[in-house]
Amino acid sequence: MPRRRILFIRLSQFKIFLKKILIACVFVSALAFMMLSKADTYVLDKAGGTVSMILNPIIQVMQIPARIVYFGYEKVRDISMVYSQNAKLKEESKKILVLQNRVRTLEAENKILAQMLEYDILPEASYITAKVVAEEGDGFSHSLIVYIGDNKNVSKNQIVLGNESVVGRIEDINGRYARVILLTDISSKIPVIVERNRERAILSGDNTLYPKLLYTALNADIKKGDNIVTSGVAGIFPAGLPVGVVNKIVKNKIDVIPISDIERLEFVKIVDYGVYSDVMNFSQEIKGK
Amino acid sequence: MEDSFSDILKDYVKKMLPLLCAIGLILLMYIPIRFPLSKFLRPDTAMICVYFWTLYRRDLFGPISVAVLGIVADSLGAVPLGVNMFVFISVYVLAITFGIYVNTKPFAISWIGFALISLVAFLIKWLLMSVYYSNFLPLTGVLLGYVATVLLYPLVARLNVVIQNRFLATDEVIYEQR
Repeated sequence: MPRRRILFIRLSQFKIFLKKILIACVFVSALAFMMLSKADTYVLDKAGGTVSMILNPIIQVMQIPARIVYFGYEKVRDISMVYSQNAKLKEESKKILVLQNRVRTLEAENKILAQMLEYDILPEASYITAKVVAEEGDGFSHSLIVYIGDNKNVSKNQIVLGNESVVGRIEDINGRYARVILLTDISSKIPVIVERNRERAILSGDNTLYPKLLYTALNADIKKGDNIVTSGVAGIFPAGLPVGVVNKIVKNKIDVIPISDIERLEFVKIVDYGVYSDVMNFSQEIKGK
Repeated sequence: MEDSFSDILKDYVKKMLPLLCAIGLILLMYIPIRFPLSKFLRPDTAMICVYFWTLYRRDLFGPISVAVLGIVADSLGAVPLGVNMFVFISVYVLAITFGIYVNTKPFAISWIGFALISLVAFLIKWLLMSVYYSNFLPLTGVLLGYVATVLLYPLVARLNVVIQNRFLATDEVIYEQR
């Protein structure tokens, strides 16, 4: 007897079909999100920021036990290192006294020379100290989330310092929290110079602990131990901020160790030099013309 | 007899428990630990949850839960929006496809299954990020993260088993593998 064709779909089959469609939709929307985030769209930034803003306070509460454990670990570590550190500090304080006098003399001299040249000194920097509430770090991205409270002066692309050296920049602000992209992150690109010979380069993160110096001249004279400071090109970072020290040079690959210990940041300084907004206004003016 | 509001709410929370647990574990991984190599040894606990719940309670953890989890992970981290979503849905599809060889087998088999599926997932993520930044990411950090994730699997799986047995065991469904 020939089999009869069933003209209706069973509910379970329909559900499976629907699920397959849903999976395809998730794949497509994930790809669409990626393409849109490449285009840096406002709506996506805002949506992601809102999710982050809701979840950040929860991380802040959850980290209390971890802080207690870390506090104990730090105490034990400090006690074990107290003698060697004391000797080192004594040595350093002698050097600092000498340097302090020299800096005072240079500052006075610089002021007089600037007056003579009618050079406009950059506006005085203002800063806030922010607590690190969350950190992200794996082979794919390196960032921090810091608590800025009600501070309205923090804005995108401001510089973040730890121990007076650059650790990153503000990527976005979500309510009372801001995300900091560390200089080791793959998306971080900082125009720098070698302090000794003013050789220009770009310090590029690659998600390892040692960012790389890129676009250096082929015959560039760069040695291990050279200090790397910001060049001020591009206007986001002012010139002369310490960033790191050249660690290793293998062929054309130059590794830099950041001066700040980015694995142990507890507080950071968000600095507003007013340089970025000035540069942006200037470029807007040029575009207008 | 009609269910009271609290019963309905309880039911919803129960249904969302796998997702909430996965989100909780993501948040836990964001706690600053400030130990050496903390920038690399952060396991992807969300991936473990996607694998585990897809394998054992697919009725409570569907593609929408996976998408929500992906968006949460993307929003908290500095990776481009959509990357984790893509990776998690890939893990979901792989777990459904190969679940038949792993489900109802000893724990070690499901662990090996996870090790293989997460290796594919990490490679997908590495490839997506490399394409996005037009630059190949160093594999060392990625592999360290992978090893940390695989090593943490028994612990997270155990936590999920406790949640399953304590709160979700009564409404367990047995579904055919396809």
